[in-house]
Amino acid sequence: MNTMGQPTTALCEPDSLLERDVAALIVSALNLDIGPEEIAPEAPLYGDGLGLDSIDILELALVVSKQFGMQMKADSEENYHIFRSLRALTAYIGEHRTK
Amino acid sequence: MSVTPSIETLPLLPDFPPEQVLTYRDGQALCRDDFLCDILWLAERLPEGAHVLNLSHDRYWFAVGLFAAISRGALSLLPNSPAVEHLAAVCAGVPHLVCLGDQDVSPLAGVNYLRVGEAVPATGPRPEMPRIACEQRIACVFTSGSTGTPQPHFKTFGRMWLAIAAGAERLWDAAGGRCSVIGTVPLRHMYGLESSVLLPLWAGGRMSARTPFFPADVAAALAELPAPRLLVTTPFHLTKLLDADVEMPAVAALLSATAPLSPALAARAEERFGAPLLEIYGSTETGQLATRRPARQLDWQVLPGITMRQENGETFVSGGHLEAPQALNDHVEMLGPGEFSLLDRKADMINVVGKRTSLAMLNHLLARVPGVRDGVFCLPPAGRDDEARRLAAFVVAPGVSANEILSALRPQLDPVFLPRPIIFVDLIPRDGNGKVQAATLQALIKAHLGGDQAPAAVPLLFPVEHPMFPGHFPGRPIVPGVALLDAAQRAVESATGLTLAGLATAKFHRPALPAEAMRIEWSLEPAGVRFLIRSGEQKVADGRFLLAAKASA
Repeated sequence: MNTMGQPTTALCEPDSLLERDVAALIVSALNLDIGPEEIAPEAPLYGDGLGLDSIDILELALVVSKQFGMQMKADSEENYHIFRSLRALTAYIGEHRTK
Repeated sequence: MSVTPSIETLPLLPDFPPEQVLTYRDGQALCRDDFLCDILWLAERLPEGAHVLNLSHDRYWFAVGLFAAISRGALSLLPNSPAVEHLAAVCAGVPHLVCLGDQDVSPLAGVNYLRVGEAVPATGPRPEMPRIACEQRIACVFTSGSTGTPQPHFKTFGRMWLAIAAGAERLWDAAGGRCSVIGTVPLRHMYGLESSVLLPLWAGGRMSARTPFFPADVAAALAELPAPRLLVTTPFHLTKLLDADVEMPAVAALLSATAPLSPALAARAEERFGAPLLEIYGSTETGQLATRRPARQLDWQVLPGITMRQENGETFVSGGHLEAPQALNDHVEMLGPGEFSLLDRKADMINVVGKRTSLAMLNHLLARVPGVRDGVFCLPPAGRDDEARRLAAFVVAPGVSANEILSALRPQLDPVFLPRPIIFVDLIPRDGNGKVQAATLQALIKAHLGGDQAPAAVPLLFPVEHPMFPGHFPGRPIVPGVALLDAAQRAVESATGLTLAGLATAKFHRPALPAEAMRIEWSLEPAGVRFLIRSGEQKVADGRFLLAAKASA
C-alpha cells in the first residue's frame, strides 16, 4: 500500500523497534495464529486485513494500556484511524505512552 | 405512567415540565423542548409514507430519528448488524424507504439518504406535543432466521411504553431514583433500545448521547452526567471495565443483559462500584420480561403485569406489554408466581460476547459459499478467555482458501461470528438425516482443536493472603461460597470449552479454609455439568451448572 500523502503518523519515520513490539503484543494478546513479522505494517487491522473486530480492539486496548501506561480514549471515528494499521497504532502509542 | 386499555393515545414524550433536562449531547444539557424541536423539524422533512431505516450512531440523533418517524406514523426499521447484505435483506421488499444517518456518506447505496446531526435553533412558539395511537407500529427489530433471512418483529407504541414503565419501576427502585443513563450497548437491539434510549426518555431519566467504548471513555462519559447514574452494559464490557485500571465515577446502579452474568462477576462489579447490579432477561420477540440481582439471588422475578405458564414443556409468557402469549426460547423452571429459574438455552442459539445467532443460520450461509461442499460451525473449547470465545468452522472445500471463505461470509455476518479458525477436512460425517451428530462434532474438535487433553478434575486452593479473607470473617477466615462456585465455574469452562449459563443447584457441606488443598471434579450430564469440590475424602460443596449453548449441528 502506498502511504504517500496519507496522515498516517505524526512521526516522519516509523519507529521500527516499537512497531515490532506492538506487532508481538497484537499476536500474543489476541492469540493469533501468525508470527508478528507477518503483520504488514500498512495493512488494515480491521475487516479484510487481519480481520480484527471490536472485541479484539477492546482486548488489545487493555493490554496496550497496561504495557505502555496509557488509557486509550477515542470516539469511534478516531478509533478507526488508530487501529487502521499496525503503523497507525504504533504511532498513536508512540505519542501517548508514559512508559 | 400506567396505561389502561381504554386509553387510545399517549403523548410522544411524557408530560414532564418542558424545561426539564432530558438528554445530554456533547456535554450539553438539552431540555424536553430542545429535543422536541429537533424531532419535529426532522419529521417535517421525512418523505410522506416512507418507512425509515435508522442507522445513526449517535444516540441523540438515533432518538430524534425514531421519534420523528413515530410522530409521522412511520415505521422504523432497526437492523441489528451493519453487514451490507444484512441491511439489503432488511430493506428487501420495502417499496418506499428513507435512510437516516449521521455519517457523511450513506451506509447503504441506492437508498434515499437523509443526513441528520445538525441541531435546529429553536424559534417560534413552544412546540405542541403530538399524541400517538397506542396501536401504531413504531419499530421493527430483527432476529436471524435459520435460513439467513432476518425475521421481523413489530413493536407498537403503547406496548413499548408499558414495557418501559414496568422496567423503570424495578430499575429506579434499585437505583434509589430516576437516573442519568449511559449505555455501552448497540442501539438497534431490544436491550439497547429499551434500556439506553426509551427508559431515560419515557421514564423521567436523562439520556446520554454517547456510546463509550474504552474503559477511560466510560469513566469520562459518566463524569459528564449528573448523579444518580445508571450504566447500561454487557458482561463482556463489564469484565473489561473491572480489569482496567481506571477510576470510575459513582453510579447508582448497573444493568447487564445479552449474555449470562456469573454471580462472581456480579459480586465483583457491585463491590467495585458500590452499587446494585441488575440483570435483565428478555428477547427480541418479547422485549424485557424479568430482572434479577445475581450477586444476591439467582432466580428471576418477572416484571409487573407479566404472567407465565407451562404447557407440554413450553413456557408461555403473557400480560403486561405482550399482545399475545409468547413461547420462550429457553427452558425454565417455575418457582412460584412471578419467579423462575433459567435451566437451559435452546440448543441452536449461540452467544458470542452477547450477540446471539443461530447455528443453523451460520451453517446455511457457510454452505452457500462458492466452492464449499460441506461445512459446519462449532464452539471450540475456550482457550485463554471464555468471555471472548470464538467460533470455528470445519469445511470441505478443495481449492478454496480460508480468506476466500471469510471474504464471502464477511458481508453477511456480524464480524464476531466469523469462524476463527477455519479447519479444512476431507469429510464431515453426517447421519442418515443429513445431520452432523454432536458426538461427531466433538470428535472433530478433539482431533483438530486439541480438546482431548481436558481433565475432568483440577486442584483448587485459595492462598492465605487472598484479600477476601480478612473481611470474611474477621479472625475466622473461611472461603466465601460465591468464591468457591466461581472457581468451579471457571475451571469447568476453561477445561471443557462449555459456556455455563449459571447455577441450577448448589449445596455447601462444610467450610473451606485458607490454603486448604481441594479438588474440583465434574461430569457432563444432559441436565448440565455436575460438580463436586472435595478436600481429601470430604465433600466441601457440590451442585449443578446449567449449559448456555450446545455445539450441535
